[in-house]
Amino acid sequence: MITDFVQNCIDGIMVGSGYSLLALGFTLVFGVLKRLNLSYGPSIMLGAYVGTWSFLNIADNIWLVLLTTICATVVIGIYVEQLCFRAVSKETTIASMVSSFAIWMQLEEIALHLLPERTYPFPAFFDSGLLEFGPFTARSEYLFMFVVMLLLLLILHAFIYRTRIGLAIRAYSDHPSASAYMGIDGSSVLFLAFIIVSIIGGIAGFLILSADSQITPFFGLWATFKGLIAMMLGGIGSLSGAVLGGLILGVIEANAFWYGDPVIRDISSFMLLFTMLIIRPGGIFGHKIEIHQKIASERV
Amino acid sequence: MLYLEDIRTFYGEIEALKGLTLEARKGEVTCVLGPNGAGKTTTMFTIAGILKPRTGTLFLEDENLTHVSAQSRVRKGIALVPENRLIFPQMTIAENLDTGALSRPLKDAGIQEDILKMYERFPRLHERKEQMAGTLSGGEQQMLAIARALMAKPKILLMDEPSLGLAPLIVKEIFNIIRQLNEEGVTILLVEQNAKMALTVADHVYLIEQGKVTFNGNPSEIHQDEVIRRAYLGSEVS
Ligand SMILES: Nc1ncnc2c1ncn2[C@@H]1O[C@H](COP(=O)(O)OP(=O)(O)OP(=O)(O)O)[C@@H](O)[C@H]1O
Ligand SMILES: [Mg+2]
Repeated sequence: MITDFVQNCIDGIMVGSGYSLLALGFTLVFGVLKRLNLSYGPSIMLGAYVGTWSFLNIADNIWLVLLTTICATVVIGIYVEQLCFRAVSKETTIASMVSSFAIWMQLEEIALHLLPERTYPFPAFFDSGLLEFGPFTARSEYLFMFVVMLLLLLILHAFIYRTRIGLAIRAYSDHPSASAYMGIDGSSVLFLAFIIVSIIGGIAGFLILSADSQITPFFGLWATFKGLIAMMLGGIGSLSGAVLGGLILGVIEANAFWYGDPVIRDISSFMLLFTMLIIRPGGIFGHKIEIHQKIASERV
Repeated sequence: MLYLEDIRTFYGEIEALKGLTLEARKGEVTCVLGPNGAGKTTTMFTIAGILKPRTGTLFLEDENLTHVSAQSRVRKGIALVPENRLIFPQMTIAENLDTGALSRPLKDAGIQEDILKMYERFPRLHERKEQMAGTLSGGEQQMLAIARALMAKPKILLMDEPSLGLAPLIVKEIFNIIRQLNEEGVTILLVEQNAKMALTVADHVYLIEQGKVTFNGNPSEIHQDEVIRRAYLGSEVS
């Protein structure tokens, strides 16, 4: 009984680390730009499609797939940045969101032209193996994803809080015009943020899909849902919040699936978000962020 | 040190600066006075490179900076203390100071030393260095804005209404700081509404009205001019 529950939680954390990876990208764009990039999920999907395409048409080499997936996601990220974020003025937040939604449609269309069938295989990173820890088990590719996710969190955290470039990014996000007076070039910050976020997205897409070993055009929608819910659970703009939100979402889903069925699992994530928005609208770490912002904006 | 010649800056089709000529001499406090909407902030933004003038030239020492970007101008030694302070509210005081030094090369070993100097000059910032800047009082925020700009090690410090919205006692403190900085050799271009206080620190005064310089002289000359005295200092000053 309790063993089942613990095993569910392990499974949830494994799958949830994929959600965490997606949420990291969402929260970074939102935290830096204060704007929602709705085409993030589809960008990852298309990037992974290019990866699959190279797998089918160029060579059966996993490193090539990883590289093409990341590079394609970065190129698409730059395209989105130029079209929806740079060109659209800072005052019109909604316009960025709407245009990034329009890009979503465009990206799905391109994916369908690239590979017209519904489902394609996505190569596995290494042969799947079941690791045993006493009575508990975990699949090796998920454990690998979990470790990579934690590493990325550490690297990102160090980058944002310990480097000069990170300082410039935070200054821009805190007060864009004041950062310009400090000699920070806002458009470089924007560009860099999109590149970083796209690299994370490419890695996330690659790891999730290679654990799943298949890809469909629905991956864009799926990634958007999971990433956004995980981000909102954790608290928008918080890196560790995004990771925690993803893991919690995974654990709840795994248990809902075990004690219920796939439908209950899907409903559970929305119920979770719903409950969270009522009892703690800012997310787990969002409360702290919200208070900071409130005090800060009252004074300035 | 800083020369502006026949600068005309536009907001769309609105001409905010209509041929402005101005000089800030090395080691002096140059003060710009003028009514609301005269173009004082526009002048500061044009010097900092935030706004691009349609015509005119701008020199810092012997270098023509007219077509140089705002980022490079910070690196070349122009630092701005903006109107309304505009510190980074969700970053700590220490981090705010760090942003000021972003224009300096990474290898510059003097940065840490300069941060300590700032804390020495502004002990109140030192006490609160890990506190979020948004929680500071108005006067403390102004000090932080000045310290942040000084972290860039500027050749010339532009200050846009540093006394704005502050209590008289704090205003005095701010002007003491300006005087002290000037004694240490910092060149300052100061925009002020508080003419009385400004004239106590100024070496040279410009009066701007509707985007043009209408008076240019030293503080004693402004005291002699009946009209200006009435308008900016009130009639009780002699
Ligand atoms: N963004 C803008 N768009 C259009 N016009 C502007 C803009 N900013 C300033 N102006 C106009 O330019 C003129 C000069 O403004 P500026 O802010 O330089 O005045 P100021 O001397 O700094 O005034 P204050 O003492 O109130 O700060 C004003 O007539 C103002 O209405
Ligand atoms: Mg002004």
